[in-house]
Amino acid sequence: MPPDGPSLVGALAAVPAELAADLAYLRNKFQCPDLDPATGLDNEALKTGILALAERLAGQPHPVVKARAFEYLARNVRIDASPHDGFVGFGNWNRNDRLLSGLIRRWDAEVTKEFQQCVGLIHDLNRSGATMMWKDYDHSVPDWDAALRLGFAGLRERAREYRARHEDRGELAPAAAAYFDGIDITYGAILEMLERFQALALRRAGGNPRVGAVAECLGHLRQGPPRTTYEVLQFIYLFFIFGEHFDGIQVRSLGNLDQTLLPYYRRDLAGGTCDEPQVRRLVDTFLLQFASINNYWGHPFYLGGTQADGTSAVNELTYLILEEFDRLAIVTPKIQIKTAANTPDALLDLALDMIRRGNSSLVFVGEEPIRRAMMGLGYTAEEARTCDIKGCYEFSPRGKSNETGVGHINMLKPIELVLHEGTDPQTGLAVGLRTGPLENLRTFDDFYGAYIRQLGHIIELNLRGALDMEQRLDLINPSSVFSATIEHSLATGRDAFFNGCVYNNTSVLNAGFGTAVDALMAVRDVVYVRRELTLAGLRDALAANWAGHERLRRGVLRSRNRYGNGLGEVDAWAAAIARFVANKINLRPNARGGFFTASLHSAKQYVDLGAKTGATPDGRLAGEEMSKNASPTMGADACGVTALVKSATRLDAAGFPGDFPLDVMLHPATVAGEEGLAAMRSIVRVYHGGGGIAVHFNVMDADVLLDAQQHPEKYRGLQVRVCGWNVHFTEMCRKEQDAFIRRARGLAV
Amino acid sequence: MTTGVLFDVKRFAVHDGPGVRTTFLLKGCPLRCRWCHNPEGISPAPELAYYAHRCIHCGECVAACPHGAHRLEGGKHAFERSRCVACGRCEEACLGGALRFWGRPMTVAEAVALALEDRPFYEQSGGGVTVSGGEPLLQPEFALELLAALRRQGLHTALDTCAAVPWAAIAQVLPFTDLLLIDLKQADTAAHRRLTGRGNQLILRNFRRLAEAGATIEVRMPLVPGSNDGPEDLAAAGAFLAPLGVVRVKVLPYHDLARSKYDAIGVEDTMPRVAAPTAADLDRAVAILRAAGAPAVASPGR
Repeated sequence: MPPDGPSLVGALAAVPAELAADLAYLRNKFQCPDLDPATGLDNEALKTGILALAERLAGQPHPVVKARAFEYLARNVRIDASPHDGFVGFGNWNRNDRLLSGLIRRWDAEVTKEFQQCVGLIHDLNRSGATMMWKDYDHSVPDWDAALRLGFAGLRERAREYRARHEDRGELAPAAAAYFDGIDITYGAILEMLERFQALALRRAGGNPRVGAVAECLGHLRQGPPRTTYEVLQFIYLFFIFGEHFDGIQVRSLGNLDQTLLPYYRRDLAGGTCDEPQVRRLVDTFLLQFASINNYWGHPFYLGGTQADGTSAVNELTYLILEEFDRLAIVTPKIQIKTAANTPDALLDLALDMIRRGNSSLVFVGEEPIRRAMMGLGYTAEEARTCDIKGCYEFSPRGKSNETGVGHINMLKPIELVLHEGTDPQTGLAVGLRTGPLENLRTFDDFYGAYIRQLGHIIELNLRGALDMEQRLDLINPSSVFSATIEHSLATGRDAFFNGCVYNNTSVLNAGFGTAVDALMAVRDVVYVRRELTLAGLRDALAANWAGHERLRRGVLRSRNRYGNGLGEVDAWAAAIARFVANKINLRPNARGGFFTASLHSAKQYVDLGAKTGATPDGRLAGEEMSKNASPTMGADACGVTALVKSATRLDAAGFPGDFPLDVMLHPATVAGEEGLAAMRSIVRVYHGGGGIAVHFNVMDADVLLDAQQHPEKYRGLQVRVCGWNVHFTEMCRKEQDAFIRRARGLAV
Repeated sequence: MTTGVLFDVKRFAVHDGPGVRTTFLLKGCPLRCRWCHNPEGISPAPELAYYAHRCIHCGECVAACPHGAHRLEGGKHAFERSRCVACGRCEEACLGGALRFWGRPMTVAEAVALALEDRPFYEQSGGGVTVSGGEPLLQPEFALELLAALRRQGLHTALDTCAAVPWAAIAQVLPFTDLLLIDLKQADTAAHRRLTGRGNQLILRNFRRLAEAGATIEVRMPLVPGSNDGPEDLAAAGAFLAPLGVVRVKVLPYHDLARSKYDAIGVEDTMPRVAAPTAADLDRAVAILRAAGAPAVASPGR
């Protein structure tokens, strides 16, 4: 899957000469690295070594075993320090082949066997496509403030202090002792590895100032916290690799870089340590690391926000970082922009202009709507103001929370379950309620009631499954790198990813919301208003994938009664269903001492769950994708973007503190010129003003997309904002490309 | 309560005046500009557009049409326009999206309600509502009532007119119109007649009277290569506009993307077969107009 770095091809045209020379190295750095074998062992040898080590340490607590494995990696993985790069090179980067994953898989099997009661249920739910559930290690954000303040050595020291405190109070239980041991060994290994890097760089430097600078940088990071812009960026990069690619816990935000870098940046400029062009080149190289790693779900960081005194937090770095990101034309990292009424138009326009030119790996998250959602969970106003943005567009309190994402609900499956009286027609699994024979659903109200009961039932089963799955995450994947940054975790002696944060929450995602609304409206109109088919007849038509009912299907597809058209009556149904889902999920206790949160975010499941869902009453064919996020079925919104925003803001986004994103597609002609830019900005402002949380854009011309299908070599750099991340259009599969083309064709010009 | 005949309503209109707007397009126009990209707005009567390339030959329209204008012959759809009375019933029945019915009635109340839907966008962008067409002042009572009602709602109003209408029609809407968008296609009346079917003396007179009345005017000049882009044409247009105190003169590049509409509504395709002006062409035109004293700018939009 990882492409041969085409994401860097687009960058060639725009970058300054000195960076262009580095691109070939950077492209290969993480995709097909060429590391000196003398520096360590290859990945297969490492995997063997880890398993042998795990054998030797059998019976020891998992945090310790994992930390020893981490240490083994740190000592033996191949490394690099290249004159083409300001950032060190690792021999372990591929998410699909993480070196510790064999260990984690084994422990998962053990813990599942020992603790879980609902394995069969979860399996059936997943197989039927009613949900998709897996154990999630992907959405935590370290306390960057603490990490940058203390550095690696300081983090280890602080953990030792907390351990001593527990001991002095006589409160160091074996599990806590193992927890602290894990941190100590892991951070010791990190420091050792920094020494390895430093030594390699010194050996290789040979007068090359860049490699010499790497050596010096690593030397300082071994001793204490980062002190310069360069050291901060190196630190963040190192922490990312250690946390995500070694320790197997995704570092789900690189932080709000325009804030975290700011004091170092200003000090560097004032003290003459470096000048602005040098910082720009540093930022470029930093961003290109993640462009090279190129995980499809993107590497997020965020910008903007509001100060405690109510003024905008936007500063000179906000613009600098965005400008460099724009210059590079890359699909990842991806950037979230915290947006408030006080966010300058100039900043929004810079971002919107990038988007309309195709650099669309950006999303605008509204601070006021976020505040409303977070305070609805009981967070304070300050916790809301200072929240981290992470993942695609999620938000949670800074430095003290972890929110996993367990369970994606298929909002279309309950329709199938009603029509087949509780049995999933695709698999024959009886995952639903017995809502009874179809002839008893005499009115649409009856049908809607049955749907809501089925939906509620699937949600309950999902929650039950999540409770079961999340019982002992600390035993499966101890999070030493992450935990050491979270003070509350140290104070309690508990794994931060599991239950050592102040807030240990679990998000439940939902896919197919818009399509479900459309499907219900279609049932109402076809069966109960126009009486074109009985419910049984509709069931049979869907089972036949609409064969023999093409006229009916096309009529349904043309219906205006769909979510996204700004129709009050339809939107009222949409709002009711959304509110029910939110009420069902929010604040229910989870297995980790926290609670569940509802999310109207579908990630990739609008495709994957769609593949497991048969034809639905809205005209959708079997296996087709469903709607994503808070967005309508692709192409259903036939009344333009203002009607779309109206529909979306009729929902109460505050009920979705997991998150609430809207996808907007516009034609290039609509956003051309000064007027077009101002119009785009009005969409963001009105959407946030109406309570919507996250909004992102695709600016597409169907003719261009069609040409790109025919001549991909001419369009290597063409980006598509898929869900919360970007991909290159030419790398998408045909089916997905066609969906975007269909949508773009329907755009008003 | 007056009813108007409209052929379209555009929401999130970005190039019809300042900010984000809703544009109401009234059917019927006294001119026949050869490059018109809304030919479905020329005739005041409702009419059916048939897009042959979208037809799937399902025959649903045949069943829906009470006048036998649609037929299936040998499995292929045939449309007999002479039998069509433009009732619009077939549009709903069409499964391929090949039939579009242009020209629906709308009351002022319905129009205002629709306009109010997007008020948050107007407020955020300094936008409002534009009454356009065709030529809106061919339905002078409807246009007047609509503009007055929009004004009463506190909305910014713009009127997009060709000004080839009696002064009285213009004068009565002036008090309710914040901005006038007026086309100037050709300063030479003989050329104007060749290109649009009418001379321009009435238009130029109305321009002058509007300027005297102190109206806020933005001029639109579609730049059509071979028709009105010669240096003398532009210099003359610039010289005419210079003393009128218009806010700006927007030079818009010609495009022929609307060509398929002509065939679809069964009228002669008069669109010039010329390439769209380049950015350099636009800049040259702007320079000539400015040299003549008119506040010209190039417009990127279509």
